[in-house]
Amino acid sequence: MPVDAELLEILACPNCKTPVRLVKDGAALKCDQCHRVYPIKDDIPVMLIDEATIEP
Amino acid sequence: MALFEPEHEKLRPDVNSQALSVIAVENDFVEGVYEKLATVYDVFFGPILHPGRLLALQRMNIQPGTRVLEVGVGTGINSALYPHHCHVTAIDFSAPMLAKARQRVSRKGLHHVTLMEMDAAELTFADGSFDIVYAPYFVNCVSDPLKVVREMQRVCKPGGKIVLLNHFRSTNWFMSRFDRVLTPLTVHVGFKSDLDLPGFLSQTGLQPISIEKVISGLWSLVICRRD
Repeated sequence: MPVDAELLEILACPNCKTPVRLVKDGAALKCDQCHRVYPIKDDIPVMLIDEATIEP
Repeated sequence: MALFEPEHEKLRPDVNSQALSVIAVENDFVEGVYEKLATVYDVFFGPILHPGRLLALQRMNIQPGTRVLEVGVGTGINSALYPHHCHVTAIDFSAPMLAKARQRVSRKGLHHVTLMEMDAAELTFADGSFDIVYAPYFVNCVSDPLKVVREMQRVCKPGGKIVLLNHFRSTNWFMSRFDRVLTPLTVHVGFKSDLDLPGFLSQTGLQPISIEKVISGLWSLVICRRD
């Protein structure tokens, strides 16, 4: 599990600085404010705006 | 600044405003350098820089349950040094370096280490998230050291520790000139050799509680307390 519950509590969207949540069965992190989805590649969350996709 | 010789302070009246290095580098450039270095980093920089890593871990005195953020994890060369009773979050901007770190973390079963791809100048953590924020051999390698350290301060809990293991410009007149001359060359391996420690501390507002020289005095272990 690349992101445990405690880490998820302190993790924020690089764009909005608001909380993110696990989506796609733990394969990505999503910000509900800007709708950016940050991929988790090979167990490593990629918290970079340029690498995110926008998914409504 | 009690940790510096008074004579040294007199030599640096512009400590609050001076440029910290003669060289400016861009993130893309540094990323490119470390992409190339990923496969050989451990061979060249593993053993030679290890005494500093060991001393830093010893001085951090990590207690059970401590949350540590390692900024600039690179190939994960520090990962196995952390006690298993703490929680380590380790970030880097370079995907090839992180791929190496992932192999190491997986091979050694380091379940207490979590890796993330992130820009050190834009940390995506809430304020006051970590007990210790540690940047080993890293601040010389970023385009904006001040911005990175301000982010390290932001995510460190009040009363927590900010730990820098770094080469700073020598206080010796001759060696100081040597560092300045060397920087346009060392920058090609992603490293600025002329970062000025008094200016750096002054401009970041960091309050050091100890400064120790390591590896023949070429590197400094600077431990600061977050107010």
